[in-house]
Amino acid sequence: MKRAFAATLVATTVLVSPVLAQDAKYEAASEINVMQGFKAGGGSDALAQLVQPYLARELGVNFVNQYIPGATGAIAWTRLAKQAPADGSTISITNTPMLQTNYIMNPSITYTIDEITPIANVVTDPGIAVVAADSPFQSFEDFVNAAKEKPSTVTVGNSGVGGDDYFTSLQFERQAGVQLQKVPFQGDGPSWTAAMGGKIDASFTNVGVTYPQIKEGNLRALAVFAEERLPELPDVPTAKELGYDLVAGSSRGYSGPGGLPDEARQQLIEGFQRVMENPDFQAAAKAQALNLDFVFGEDYRAMLKEQEGEFKELWSELQSEGQAQAQ
Amino acid sequence: MESFFWVGLTNVLDPMNLTAIAIGTIIGMFVGAMPGLSATMAIALLLPLTYSFKPETGLALLASLYLAAMYGGSIAAILLRTPGTPAAAATVMDGYPMAQKGKAGQALGLSLTASLIGGLLSSVILLTVAPLLGRVVLNFGPVEIFAVAVLGITIIGSLSQGSTILGLLSGAIGLLLATIGMDPTTGTPRFAFDNLELFGGIDFTVALIGLFSIPQAVRLVMKGNGKRDKGTVSRIADRMLPTGREFVKLLPNSIRSGFIGVFVGLIPGTGGDTASWFAYNEAKRFSRRKAEFGTGYPAGIVAPEAANNAVVGGALIPTIALGIPGSSSTAVLLGGLMVHGILPGPTLMSDYGDVTYTLLWAVLFANVALFLVGILFTRACVAVTKIPNRVVGPVIVVLSVIGAYAINNSVFDIGLMIAFGILGLVFDTFRIPTPPLVIGLILGPILDTTLQQSLLIGGGNWMVFLQNPISATLLAFALLSILQATPLFGSIVKAFRKKPPKGAEPAGGDMAGSRD
Repeated sequence: MKRAFAATLVATTVLVSPVLAQDAKYEAASEINVMQGFKAGGGSDALAQLVQPYLARELGVNFVNQYIPGATGAIAWTRLAKQAPADGSTISITNTPMLQTNYIMNPSITYTIDEITPIANVVTDPGIAVVAADSPFQSFEDFVNAAKEKPSTVTVGNSGVGGDDYFTSLQFERQAGVQLQKVPFQGDGPSWTAAMGGKIDASFTNVGVTYPQIKEGNLRALAVFAEERLPELPDVPTAKELGYDLVAGSSRGYSGPGGLPDEARQQLIEGFQRVMENPDFQAAAKAQALNLDFVFGEDYRAMLKEQEGEFKELWSELQSEGQAQAQ
Repeated sequence: MESFFWVGLTNVLDPMNLTAIAIGTIIGMFVGAMPGLSATMAIALLLPLTYSFKPETGLALLASLYLAAMYGGSIAAILLRTPGTPAAAATVMDGYPMAQKGKAGQALGLSLTASLIGGLLSSVILLTVAPLLGRVVLNFGPVEIFAVAVLGITIIGSLSQGSTILGLLSGAIGLLLATIGMDPTTGTPRFAFDNLELFGGIDFTVALIGLFSIPQAVRLVMKGNGKRDKGTVSRIADRMLPTGREFVKLLPNSIRSGFIGVFVGLIPGTGGDTASWFAYNEAKRFSRRKAEFGTGYPAGIVAPEAANNAVVGGALIPTIALGIPGSSSTAVLLGGLMVHGILPGPTLMSDYGDVTYTLLWAVLFANVALFLVGILFTRACVAVTKIPNRVVGPVIVVLSVIGAYAINNSVFDIGLMIAFGILGLVFDTFRIPTPPLVIGLILGPILDTTLQQSLLIGGGNWMVFLQNPISATLLAFALLSILQATPLFGSIVKAFRKKPPKGAEPAGGDMAGSRD
């Protein structure tokens, strides 16, 4: 009997330990709602499941995930910007570039990043150009030359209009002075699968989702769109080395509503900083091949603003080109 | 490879894993039976709970859940005329009429048996030739998938026999409704009226719940409790499982439908919802008693149920052979692997062979568990037919509202569901068939996306569909299928064959024709 009681006690303690084990360090709320603009089980959810247990322990709060899929995240982010209580009880996972391209491309989406409070970016999956193992393109130069020789015939997949790969394609076209035949797919998976099956000539996609295929030799990586070569792909040149100023990828982090109290924001940032230094967390992220890329507070805001500027410019250029062609 | 095969079998026999399979089966059956709750949703929600398990135990739980939900969907389809999952929509066609005849137990027994055969078939394929079949997936790009979707659209023709014009109208409305939302290649919102909730298009499951459940609830309430003759109440003691003779008769149909399910599951982007209609259509094509389909004919239950369970194995083939998810549920399963540090990809069968083969064996065992749990669970479910109509009707509405909300946590979707319910009532009133609309809604987005992608790949040349051998063949089949649905074809066949049509089909044509 006594033993059973003790066991129950242990069980209870384990269950509530996220709240009791540490001094409560987050004062704004005991429970934080995390709005996700995508379905449960997607990339945003993977981030939430990875980060939030560690963050819960650091801050002494519980996290409650709210899945609000629709309009590539715009429903959740509109709610974050316009309706969510700015008291620290509600935050959202913010994914770039959709966070900005949503309203740049669609006038009926009305929130902007000025109406939210960026807290921290957590991961960035760098962009990469891949081709099938038996593709004639041995190098990025082969690919560029083919695109120059025959404009609008080299087919390049991307993860969808408004996604990072789509805008990378636009940026590349502008810098290399070429015209690609851009083929949007419903996400990264179908895009790189089509490249692997030789259905399209190449795919602009992300490292995290294709790395196992590259390692196994099913896909050949031509270039990565990162600042420096990646440690896991040391032989793949960066687009920068090859003379194209292309640094792109999809990032996921956390933001609060506009007017999130400074103390709450600061406490969250400190929580993220402690999570970042936790070796257990680092190991868990590595096991899932997530490329950690912590950017905090105002730096995160600056990162979002800079991207917004780039996307706006590219999009308006594309629009005016379209009009010029129509005339 | 060989050794992993046996390691997997030994692992799966671990009591922990067998327990996980049993629990997964029970949860899956429940989730499948509830309209609006889907296997994908349940897997995503249970995933965090499995973190503390061994990878193979967690995966066994989730995979058996996925499988059991496929059968669970047919319970509500047969008893309430409300498919619990989109994959069970085709089961309504014959399942509900059969239950109305007082043979609900038998209908569920057929569904359970067919699920077992389809599931076992696909598990065996999965265990033996998955690595070979995995490469097949790469042959299906936008051009080929477009052709598959076109072939699927021709099913409308055979589903609307008797009222071809109304059937085509219904299908066309379905395709039109499927164009709502952002254009997949330009991102331009279409028919969204600046409403963010419509940017992502109409959620197919929301539409399906409204189309089937609301008219059914209204019908039940209007019919009232009084006019219930004894024939419509199923006795729980009703014999569920088919006899040996019946089993042999339904075997060819189940196996053919199982292969259809594996194939459709294999193709990325298509799943149980498509496979069940394909299988239903083929069962009808091969049957001698076409006219009896839709009136509670056993083959009409066997085909979709064998196919949708076979989809599970089919969808897992590209998932484990190449790391390409074959369906949204397997995509979430892949997420489950990553949590345990197993990177989905071509190394799943080599580096992580022990876990992978345990998963494959678990799928096989889950089929058996499903059958056993199903017999017990289903007997209890048949009791639903004893509840008065005026109670069941409102309960269906409540479940539909909860289900519609749960899919995207969206109040808007409740309104959308009710709007589709009203559409369903209108269809009922004017005797317009609903199934073509459902097919239009399922295949519309696939047609839309792949057509645009194919034309981009082919540089705007429509010949791209005929130059490709796979798509050219599939399109030829589609043409044949259309011709077959026209009266013209019947007269051509008659001209060629002197015999009366009764003997025109091969002897094995009537797959589950026993009607006691």
